[in-house]
Amino acid sequence: MLDSSTSIQWLGADILTTLVFLPSLGALVLLFLSNEAKNAIRAVALVTSGATLAVSVAVLAKFNPAVAGLEAFRPLLVDRPWIPRFGIRYLLGVDGISLVLVVLTTLLTLCVLIFSFGQTIPKLRGYVAAFLVLETGMIGSLVALDAVLFYVFWEVMLIPMYFIIGIWGGKRRIYATMKFVLFTLAGSLLMFVAILFASGVHARTTGILSFSLLEWIPAASSGAWGLTAAQSGLLFWAFAVAFLVKVPLWPLHTWLPDAHVEAPTGGSIILAGVLLKLGTYGLLRFAIPLFPGAAARYTPLIAVLALVGVVYGAWVAAAQKDMKKLVAYSSVSHLALVVLGIFAGNVTAVSGAVMQMVGHGLTTGLLFLLVGVLYERRHTREMADYGGVASQVPVTTTLFVIAVLGSVGLPGLNGFVGEFLILAGVFKANVAWAAVAATGLILGAIYLLTLVQKVFWGPNRVKANLGLTDINGWEFAGAFPMIVLVVVLGVWPQPVLDLVRNSVETVVQIAAVRMVP
Amino acid sequence: MSGFLHVSPADLATVGPEIVLCLLGMALVLLDAFAKGLRPAFPYVTLGGLALANFLGGYAPGSAFAGAIEGSELTRFVDLLALAAVALATLGADALLTRHKRNQGEFYALLLWSASGLMLMVKGNDLLVVFLGLELMSIALYVLATWYRELPEAAEAGMKYFLMGALASTFFLYGIATVYGRLGSTRLTALKGSLAGGEGFSDPMLQVGLLAIVAALAFKIALVPFHSWAPDVYQGMTTPAVAFLSTAPKAAAVVVAVKVLATLAPSGLGEPWRPLLSVLAILSILFGNVVALAQRDLKRMLAYSGIAQMGYVAIGLATFDGAAFEGILVFLAGYLATNIAAFLAVAALSNGETEPHPLADLAGMGRQRPFAASVLTLAMLSLTGLPPTVGFIGKLLVFRAAIDAGLMTLALVGIFGSLVSAGYYLRVVYTLWMKEPSREVAAPEEDVLSGAAYILVAAAMLVLGVLPRPLLDLARAAIQSLPH
Repeated sequence: MLDSSTSIQWLGADILTTLVFLPSLGALVLLFLSNEAKNAIRAVALVTSGATLAVSVAVLAKFNPAVAGLEAFRPLLVDRPWIPRFGIRYLLGVDGISLVLVVLTTLLTLCVLIFSFGQTIPKLRGYVAAFLVLETGMIGSLVALDAVLFYVFWEVMLIPMYFIIGIWGGKRRIYATMKFVLFTLAGSLLMFVAILFASGVHARTTGILSFSLLEWIPAASSGAWGLTAAQSGLLFWAFAVAFLVKVPLWPLHTWLPDAHVEAPTGGSIILAGVLLKLGTYGLLRFAIPLFPGAAARYTPLIAVLALVGVVYGAWVAAAQKDMKKLVAYSSVSHLALVVLGIFAGNVTAVSGAVMQMVGHGLTTGLLFLLVGVLYERRHTREMADYGGVASQVPVTTTLFVIAVLGSVGLPGLNGFVGEFLILAGVFKANVAWAAVAATGLILGAIYLLTLVQKVFWGPNRVKANLGLTDINGWEFAGAFPMIVLVVVLGVWPQPVLDLVRNSVETVVQIAAVRMVP
Repeated sequence: MSGFLHVSPADLATVGPEIVLCLLGMALVLLDAFAKGLRPAFPYVTLGGLALANFLGGYAPGSAFAGAIEGSELTRFVDLLALAAVALATLGADALLTRHKRNQGEFYALLLWSASGLMLMVKGNDLLVVFLGLELMSIALYVLATWYRELPEAAEAGMKYFLMGALASTFFLYGIATVYGRLGSTRLTALKGSLAGGEGFSDPMLQVGLLAIVAALAFKIALVPFHSWAPDVYQGMTTPAVAFLSTAPKAAAVVVAVKVLATLAPSGLGEPWRPLLSVLAILSILFGNVVALAQRDLKRMLAYSGIAQMGYVAIGLATFDGAAFEGILVFLAGYLATNIAAFLAVAALSNGETEPHPLADLAGMGRQRPFAASVLTLAMLSLTGLPPTVGFIGKLLVFRAAIDAGLMTLALVGIFGSLVSAGYYLRVVYTLWMKEPSREVAAPEEDVLSGAAYILVAAAMLVLGVLPRPLLDLARAAIQSLPH
């Protein structure tokens, strides 16, 4: 194994450790501040999440996207014993896929915190602390390469989100947050059993007690684990269900609309922007590379579920009267398309899926943010309560339109790149799937544009909206970086595609080894 | 029995901690009778005695009293748990008891005696010594259960616990008698391997005798179907005492079960035993968790949760190998810190020891008493087994051992139980933080001692959850000292 002394040191800690725990350090500092010291809390929030973003960009700069295969993790690998008795290690590393999502995470967290300063948020200190701890969990899940360590970070994400929805959420917040936790936990506990079982298999077949993915993936995908088809199938599903609940794929999605509707705006942005992507990330990192044979066997089933999800999500979204619910169901539809891309199993589709993970994070995050701007002022999310507010809130309207166009995949904006690549890849894999998936996109365009039309265009029918104020400075500052990226990555997506290409090829190559049961 | 007539200093040193605790208990009773003014100092005296006992317990292990008692890393581990449990219960109890003027020296004396009994029980290398320890531990607890004897609930708790405990004791004695009758000895060393196939297995009387001993221990551990005393006793007993009762005695009984079974069947459990222990585990996990979901009284809920938690321990017993035993010890240590945290916080957040402890009373306490509420929250997460708390480490080890031994069904039942338990543990969390307060509480009279207890248990839950190595090393050394 690689000696940890080769990893880059930063202030005494290696850069990935710094990246993971810097946000929690900020949360710790908040413990010593009074809830009344609003400016100090804001300063800590900005400095911490800003510094974390800077560190993630530094990691991006140090990362060498030219390295192919699992070697890509090597240069920045952090490898220390954690529970040596059981071969559990503190093993961190990044490849192109995790790095893109890490930067998305650090950026969105900063944006959400800035945005929240423009809103009235009671108990701001706890709110900021919850988001910072959540950031540690999210980044940790993305960079952990030891299965137990990954599980630890995966569960660490759960608790802050539980509080974010449960304390700062709407009327049915407790129901929504319990549903969110129990659904996620049901999936992840199964994954936990699968992790323990897999480590036993690995120890028996290779003689090495290890939870390291860098050792598991070559052994498992080469068939050295010697699993029967039934075993690999069960293990695959134990992992896949944990991730598909998070995505969430139809029919495991029912927690999502409740969680989104009840969550505060910031919670919705992070939920849609990052947490859901951790489900698709988990598929790419664990379920498919570890059990490529089983993944191939069950691809038709998952593809059908994904296609149902694409169409169902879009259909249900079209029927919503609540803006937030509409955006939530649009997530169900969009993420199902990402899953379809991942299981299409070619480089084009998987690259598109990763691109769309970023794109959806930005555009849907923006949509939730802007719905939050309106809700803050009118305390309603019913489309019927708005109408023709474009003249009152021109800036909000402009941003909303850009986000919607990005979301429906207008060429020149970010959503187009991902959706196009996914569809092109899926078309290569199976024409019928591509045809059905495309209808979901058309429906998507219909309901999102209808949303814009109902809320912003037309005559102003509701008197209460006449005094509607536009997006304020903090809120705009939170939205601005996201809007910029939607445009920039739409026009110039190549850097992201270059960054992830080798990592995507690695996953696709491993997945293509299908003689393993 | 001539060995008992010639007591050497080394013999006494082996039971040094027990002697210190017993004498200190007596001293506290006398002081209470003749120098009532010293009552505020009693917790400090108790803590000092615990520190002394801990110091004396560092003595090199070995056999004493002609082999009737044996100190080892394993007994040292249990000593540490017992001393920690008494220390934490003492820290948490002082302010509560002082408020009702119930801080008599007997309270601490009974805790100390109970602890010395359970330490002796684990050190016992002879079933009769084990029984003596068990009785000393239990009788002190029967009295503690009725500490608020004017309350009908407390009287009920004491009576029930006593009657059921007496029944369990007769089981234990019956088991000893049967073992003696069949094998002619009560020394564990003489019984070594007697279950390892051959005659032991074909001897139904011996099996019945051992079954009686295991049943008596299962009663102390509160495994289904020997659990029925737990909810009423937990509810009626004063809360800091429950913090002790629900942790250290259970841990000691589990360790005795491990020690007896590992001695009698060193090469693994035979046929009727593994299925039997598996059934105890499954019933405890399912029954404890499902019934806990329906509870609205915090102490009753924690009683059923304790039944389920011991079900996870029973998974380790059924797995029955070194890894599982290590897992059990780590689990028990984590459970001790976590459960004591839970009970101390429940006591602090409720209306007082003479009032009931409904869950609804916790509403909005997160705002009004953030410190105690945070400790309770952490305890609930640890009981659920969520990382990065010590509860996760315990479950990780126990479930891993079970899966490695091929007991997938047990692991899946355990996982299912954990999911169900999230339902009621997290209900406590949302009641604390997400509900509007149902009542105004007086400004918290945070005392230094319970503050220290909170910090200790919170640190134990978090630090051992993130850096579990010291605990794992201790547990490993303890299990390696088991007779092979």
